[in-house]
Formats: sequence, C-alpha cells, structure tokens
Amino acid sequence: MTHFWKSRLLALAAALLPLAASAQAPAGKVQLGVVTALTGPLAAPGVFQMNGFKLAVEEINANGGITVAGRKYQVELKVYDTRANPSEGASAMQRLATVDKVPVVLGELSSGVAAAIAPIAQDYTMPLILTVPTGPNLTEQGNPYLFRVNANNLQLNQALAEFLSKQGWSPISFVAWNNDAGRGGVIGIKELMPAATKDGYVGYFNVGEVDFASHISNIRNSKSQAVMLFMDEEPGSLAIKQIRDAGLKVQMVGTLAMGSDRFLKRLDAQRLDGMVQYNAFPPNADVPRIKNFSQRYKAKYGEEAHGFAAQSYDGVMVAVAAMQAAGTVSNGKAIRDALAKVDHQGVIGRIKFDAKGQASPAVYVTQWCANGSRSILYPENLKAGCGAG
Amino acid sequence: MNEALLEQVINGLMMGSIYVLVALGMVLIYGVMHVVNFAHGVLFTMGGYLGHFFYHRLVDSYVLAILLSMLTLGLIGVLLERGVFRPLAGNLRNQVIASLGLILFLENGVVALWGPNALQWKVATTERFVEIGELRFSQHHLGIILITLVLVAALGLYLKYTRFGTAIRATSQSQEAAIVVGIPVRRVQWTTFAIGAMLAGIGGALVGPLFLVFPQMGDVPLIKGLAGILLGGMGSVPGAVIGGLLLGVTESVSTLYLPTDYRDSIAFMVMVLILLVRPQGLFGQRMRGED
Repeated sequence: MTHFWKSRLLALAAALLPLAASAQAPAGKVQLGVVTALTGPLAAPGVFQMNGFKLAVEEINANGGITVAGRKYQVELKVYDTRANPSEGASAMQRLATVDKVPVVLGELSSGVAAAIAPIAQDYTMPLILTVPTGPNLTEQGNPYLFRVNANNLQLNQALAEFLSKQGWSPISFVAWNNDAGRGGVIGIKELMPAATKDGYVGYFNVGEVDFASHISNIRNSKSQAVMLFMDEEPGSLAIKQIRDAGLKVQMVGTLAMGSDRFLKRLDAQRLDGMVQYNAFPPNADVPRIKNFSQRYKAKYGEEAHGFAAQSYDGVMVAVAAMQAAGTVSNGKAIRDALAKVDHQGVIGRIKFDAKGQASPAVYVTQWCANGSRSILYPENLKAGCGAG
Repeated sequence: MNEALLEQVINGLMMGSIYVLVALGMVLIYGVMHVVNFAHGVLFTMGGYLGHFFYHRLVDSYVLAILLSMLTLGLIGVLLERGVFRPLAGNLRNQVIASLGLILFLENGVVALWGPNALQWKVATTERFVEIGELRFSQHHLGIILITLVLVAALGLYLKYTRFGTAIRATSQSQEAAIVVGIPVRRVQWTTFAIGAMLAGIGGALVGPLFLVFPQMGDVPLIKGLAGILLGGMGSVPGAVIGGLLLGVTESVSTLYLPTDYRDSIAFMVMVLILLVRPQGLFGQRMRGED
C-alpha cells in the first residue's frame, strides 16, 4: 500500500471513529468515576462509601435508568482504589479524565487525597463531588469544579459548640491528633465556646500512639467535667477504654466516628454509656427520608446504615440530577454549572451548594444509652429518646 | 496533685517494665555476641501476634498463649542466630545491616500473614480492676510490673548461680578466655539469643491485650529499650533494668509538668544529660583505653 492510500485510510478510520462511538451509544450507558479506599488504613469506612454509591446506582437502574436530553441511560461506576494515598489518588484521577473520560467523579475518604485530586478535576473540567472528607480547607481553594455533599469540620464544630455551650460543662479538656485536623479542630472549637467555659487540659497524640495514660492523669488533674476526643475510631476506642478503666468520671464528647454500631462492637455499651458525639446522620431517626433509606440499606447489606453511605448515596443522586439538568452526559463544564444550581432533597436533607461548592446538611448530636442504642440531643426539633439516634 | 503523681509513677513503672523486657534481651545478646540486635522490636511485635494467634486459634488460655508465644519466639531466636548472625560472625557491620534487614523482612511477614490492620485482643485480666483511692488500674496493668520483676529476679539468679548462667557471664567478659577454659561458646550464643527473643516475646504478648496488636507495636519499645540500655550502661544487666524503669517513670511523670507531646524528647534529654555526666552510663564500667 502506498503512503498516500495509507494516510487516506487512516483519515477515513479517524472520521468513522466518532460514528462508531455514537453507534455504541444506543446501548445507553453512562459511567461515573469513583475514587475511594478499598484497601489500606481507610478500607473499613471505604466500604460504607461504596455501599452508598452502589445502592444509589442499583436503585436508579432498577427504575429504568436516567433520562438525559430525551435519551435513556443505565448508570455504571468506574472504581479506582486510592489506598488513602494521595499519589495513588492523583493517578486514578488522571486515568478517569484521560482514559475513561467520565463526566463526573465521586468519592474519597481522606482530606489529604481529596486535596491532591481536586486540582486535577479543575484541569480537566471534570466535576468532583466529595461525600466524606471533612477538611475545611478543601472548599476554600476557589476550585469551581469541587463540590462537597457532607458537612465539613467547621460546620460540625459549630453544631457541637452550640450544643456544648448549653450544657455548661466546664472546664473542658481536649485530646486530639497531633496534626492539622486535630490542632485546628481544638483551636476552632475553643473559639466557638462561651467565655464562661474554662480550659482544662489540652493534649495531642501522634499517629500510632496507643497509650493514653498521661492524658488521663492530666485530665484528672485539671478537674475537667468533660473531655473532647478529636480522633477517629481506633484511637477513640483505646482512649475511651482507658478513660473508663482508669475510673475517671468525666463526660466524654466524641466525633462522628464514635456514633455507630460498628464502634459499639469495638467497645461495649457499659463503657460508652452517656458519651455524646456529633453525627452527620442518625440512621434510626424518626424522619421518613432517613427511616426509608435505613430500611433499604439494611435489606441489602444486613447492617445498620452509616452516615458515609447516606452521604455517598446522595452524592450519586446529585450527580445524576445535574447531568439531567444540564442535558449532557459528557460536557463537564455544563454539568458543573448545573451542580452549582442543584437543589436536591436527599437522604441527609436538602443539598444546595454555596458559592464555594459546600452543602450545609444538618448536624446532629447523639448520646449513647446504657443498652447500646443512641438518643438524639441536638437539634432541638429532632430530639428523641434511646433507639432514635 | 499527689494522686496524679502516683498514677503516673505506676503507669511509668508499667511502661518501664516493657522497656526492661526488651532491653534485657538486647543486653544479653550484646554481651555474648557484641552485636546490637535492631530486630528486637520486631520480635516483640511477633510475640504479640503469636500470642493473639495461640489464644484465639489454639488454647483459649492467656497464660498458655503467652508461654507458647515465648517458646515459638525462642525457636525463632535460635534460627536467627544460626541462620543470620552466626554466618556473619566477626563482621559487626554486616550483622547490624542484617538485623536492620530483618526488621523489614519480619514486619512485612507479619503484615502478609495477619494484614495491616490492628487486632483487638480481649482477655479477662484487662477487665478486672484494683482500686487505690480514686485511682483504678486493671489487674493486667499491675500484672505486667509484677511479671517483669519476677522475670528479672529469676534471670539474675540464673546468671549468678547456675553453671550455664556463669558461662553466659564468662562469655560476655571475654570470649577467648571462655573458649580457653572449655565453655561451649557457640551453645552459649544461641541459648542467649533464644532467651533474649523469649523476653521480647513475652513483652509483646503482655502489651497486646492492654492496647492493640499491630505491625509497628515494637517500634517504641525498641527505641526506649535501647535508650534504657545506654542510660544504664552498655552491657550491664542491672543497668538495663534500672535504665528501662527510670526512662518509663521519667517520661510519664514529665507529662504532668510539660506538654504531653514532649514526652519522648524529655526521656531522651534526660538520657543525654546523664550520659554527659557519666559517659559509661549509670552502671557501666569504664574500660581501659576508653575516653
């Protein structure tokens, strides 16, 4: 074959390729990108996130899929494992943009990975919807392609501070991660507390530290009425166990990692009894949208629904709503503009993004009861007894 | 104030006991082989994992699980001495590199077998408590101090009053002289390695139920054990005991007066200060020819 014909044929093939692609389209499939931790240190919460995504997609497809610009599509997920590692996350994000060419990406658990992948979303005009990371800075970078469904630490702290200031516990001690999130969290919440609340002891611990004895002696020494534990599940369970075992009678205040049945399994109802924690989602609340979701979740996965799952479920729904409103399953910029205007009634409440891409879902404070169930203490209008949280 | 002080002294003695168990093994091995076994922390970790394994899969008795874990570690110690350290005898640099390599090999082996996530290990002694005034300690907590004291005493008597213990001490003092008087130095070396590994093993099996069993659980005991040895005097058995306990209590009590996150640096600052005044450590002897 001469060079002339070769190049002609190539040109023809190139011209036909888009046709071939559109010839495939009647099968009507749209892929949503997912970056999450399936293995590594955050594998356990990663399961909740994936469960939420999967449940949403399954329900959408069972109802016949989505209709965008008059065409029906089945929804699929293209999932990459970041192992909670920023560089793994970045390469997954690149792949989703250049190889898989997905219109929207959902996911992530760690704020560190989210910070690494958000600029890539902007570079490729491919909107990124976060459903779990709580680092407040993420939505402060002026990145128009970043949206966050869940409440960030600032919002969580505000709710907690409002609750705490009504309890009058003083002095209050803090034990927190020795990192940005921990130190920032302590400073943030102290600023929000009323002036009458006295400072107790403030201690920081490093990743991998398992012995909280020094902190406990200091809390005892400071005569604190309450201690706020700024940490996640693993150190949280160790700290609570050691506080209780040391016979320290102090009101414990925890984070959203400490208000689920999963956490109860690590400890026991006796040690948790009376502890309060902020929470993004009370799975047993007597609110139709929550109750309904919890039942469907339990039917599918055989366990209590989790906030991460509910937030992630809503993330998919918001993405789909934006594609429908934009009338496209490929134009990232149009989908971004639609996301900015979306007003969706989700499982976790109304989802509407502010100018920075941050939604403002409700934040709750729940309390552990002696029988291992939870009650809701905050917000006032949803207050409910044991078994509701 | 006094209560917090008492609480921290007891907590310090507990952590110090753990440092002692690691330090003792390292000091014994250093004595007869003149090599610092940096893999000792991983042996500690393996003690935790093996104890957990035996308890949940095999025996359902904590005491038996500890003993089995110790025995297995003793065996592993013999294998390491025979397979790694003896072939490299006479070349200190290679032995140190080999012990560093063992850390990677064994720690990743643990991850491959048991996964990267921390394991919980619930035993009855962590659920029973002793109250002292307003303070409360689990039996396990106090048990660790007691068991360490018993082990230290037993080891001291063994080294002082048995033939083989005397052989170990003789080998530490001078290998050549030990050979001359007919001491089976090779047997002394592998036995000592086994004893050292067993002490690390019981340390891991004792700490596991109190906190968690995880791949890096031996890192801190290794560094603190080493610091305890330097504090007490390199090569001195009583020095390792006093050094380890002193380190544990110092760092615990310091947290009542200084921010808790300075705990580790305080412990090492004390070590540096003492070594400035007594370079040979608290119980170490100045050798001729040393500055």
